[in-house]
Amino acid sequence: MTLPDYFAGIDIGSTMTKAVILDKGVIASIIGPTGPEQRRLANRVMEEALKQAALSIQEINFIVATGYGRINVPFADKQFTEITCHGRGIVQLFPEARTIIDIGGQDVKGIKIDASGKIVDFVMNDKCAAGSGRFIEVIADTLGVSLDTVGDLSLQSSHPATISNICTIYAQQEVAASLAEGVPLSDLLAGVHQSLADRICRMVNRLRVEDSVIVTGGGAKNRGLINALSEQLGHKVLVPEDPLLTGALGAALMGKEIIEKARKSNAPIETKERILEEVEIL
Amino acid sequence: MAEEQKEAKPKKRTTATKAAASIGPLVKEFITGTLQAKAEGKQKVAYTFIVCHHEEIFRALDVVPVWTENFAGICGAKRDAERFLQRAESLGLSRSLCTYALCGIGFDQWREELGQMPPDAPWGGQVRPDFMISSGQILCDPRSKWYQASQQFMPDVPIYNIDLPYPLYQVNRDHREVLGYYHQYIVKQLRGLVAFLEEQTKKKMDYDRLRELVGLSDRTWNLIEETYDLRKAVPCPMGTGDAMNTMVPINFMMATQKAYDFFVDLKKELEEKIARGEGEVENEKYRLMWGGGLPAWYALNDFNYFNSKGASFPAETTYRMVAPLHEMDLPETKDPIEHLAWRWLGYWTFWYDRARKRPGSEPDVERLINRIEEYKIDGVVMHEAFSCRTWHVGLIWQLHQLSKIYKPIPVYVIGKDGKKEKGYRELPSLVLESDIIDITSYSEVDTRNKIDAFVETLESIRTSRAA
Repeated sequence: MTLPDYFAGIDIGSTMTKAVILDKGVIASIIGPTGPEQRRLANRVMEEALKQAALSIQEINFIVATGYGRINVPFADKQFTEITCHGRGIVQLFPEARTIIDIGGQDVKGIKIDASGKIVDFVMNDKCAAGSGRFIEVIADTLGVSLDTVGDLSLQSSHPATISNICTIYAQQEVAASLAEGVPLSDLLAGVHQSLADRICRMVNRLRVEDSVIVTGGGAKNRGLINALSEQLGHKVLVPEDPLLTGALGAALMGKEIIEKARKSNAPIETKERILEEVEIL
Repeated sequence: MAEEQKEAKPKKRTTATKAAASIGPLVKEFITGTLQAKAEGKQKVAYTFIVCHHEEIFRALDVVPVWTENFAGICGAKRDAERFLQRAESLGLSRSLCTYALCGIGFDQWREELGQMPPDAPWGGQVRPDFMISSGQILCDPRSKWYQASQQFMPDVPIYNIDLPYPLYQVNRDHREVLGYYHQYIVKQLRGLVAFLEEQTKKKMDYDRLRELVGLSDRTWNLIEETYDLRKAVPCPMGTGDAMNTMVPINFMMATQKAYDFFVDLKKELEEKIARGEGEVENEKYRLMWGGGLPAWYALNDFNYFNSKGASFPAETTYRMVAPLHEMDLPETKDPIEHLAWRWLGYWTFWYDRARKRPGSEPDVERLINRIEEYKIDGVVMHEAFSCRTWHVGLIWQLHQLSKIYKPIPVYVIGKDGKKEKGYRELPSLVLESDIIDITSYSEVDTRNKIDAFVETLESIRTSRAA
């Protein structure tokens, strides 16, 4: 009898850390906040995911880390960038995907996929938080509304306000001033979402957006933003059931492919020691 | 005070060739030479711009050119540009203007205010010129405006502005129809420059000497082409990281025996490396082209980072400011000024005929395709330096056109009927974003994350390439 194979993907983003464990399908998934102590948190998230799957770390055949903190996962057998992992995860969920927009906590990425499911091109904003989830967080805080409700509130607007500043800090001041002038909250939020969608579109339009367009990351959970994006892109936008997990899913799938390929060619498989211990911060 | 602050020193960069490693001292010697020339007062010193293609005129009249873009680049490479950029900003100039110009203007203002070089000026500093030769080129506005701004602090230093246009590309119109007019105009411009320099130097142009210098540059142009062609070898013996050094003799030392000799040595070194099978990287996996944009001078280490991933750069479009003269069909003339004008036009229109033959192509795109094929390129890397409009404009468009008309990679795709079909895909590309010398626009972590993602894409294509 052969033992089942298990693969883990761990995605350390700037705001959230995610883990997925696979056998033939997803058997465990965890989402937790990323703190400054990424290495220790990676352990904890992995431990939780293992607990959910009722597995020990020794039973995992291959572990892939991705995301901005991927190099800080000492137990990962290999690292891939989030571009590769989001691409792989999305192609698994949406084989027809041609454009992916990942709206993370502090950055946005656009990924172009060809008919063979391979990444053709990508863009990343790395200079400024405008266009990322952080932009919405700052505005929600300024307006005193919870992050979970901003998207739905924005959809109640009939006259979206114009937010002309693209800098997060200046936009925050602009929104505060408009609020003081009596502009309705829903109009302000609709304007903020349109401004954010505009920033994202300007970046991803470089890729010559094609259907199907899939949005992932925390931003994908915001219905107001998805609506604004769809309108401005001129394309229908699809959202995975669990948009925060696609990177970790892709990472786990990358691990699975590595093992399968190695077995096929009888190549040795190099893995790290399966120890999950507390690691002191760097 | 911000002016006292310097950015962190970059890690030492490694080069693949001894020739490239020898460039630093050469540039330092060149900067020192300009300071010495000024101190001795025997030769006139002139601010001017690279890619002018008429260096021979300066040298024939013993004028020492001070390449102001070069000095700004040195400040950038030494991570010591910020204090000069801040000076320019405090004068009310926007950071979004050409940062080469801002650095130069900031430096000039400071030097003139002090009456001596600013403290710890890189390699002794940029010398006060006797006159300034601006050379307006299509699109690059700092080439006309920079020296006008600097003249505010040096009102006694005259400017001579030379205009060097070339016919723009049109798909359905042969540029030769108007080439003669352009030639006449450029000849007049160059003769005007000669007259200005004669007046400034109190010397008469020695046309025999000028002819000799033009001949020397022509031979250097051909030698550079022959030398760089050697980089077609697999593995590639020298990459773009090195070429960002070896651009110095091309752009700052043209019409000198030293530049010619440099390429004699480099050619020999590359031939020896090829004979030994020695590449820029030990195990060459990917061959990339620097497809456009000036480099981030403070981050040339990024080329080493590419190398560490098995990526070599056999070709680039930036700073290869020569073209094979024997393919230009230049009209015969004994007048060196006329020859310089024909060579200028020949260089800028070099890709026009080739572009017309490929539907949807353009000269810049055609040049990319030519290099991709000749140098067996797997991917294209470009750099959008935010402050350089001249290069910035059109880079993305070039990549779009390239991907539209040129799909060289065979791949298998799953067709609509679910069957495996052979198709072709475009070359992958990467656009890096920062600036030529403004380090505040650069993030090493994010840049390297992009490079990692690009290399993963290259690897994925390599493994999935249809046989």
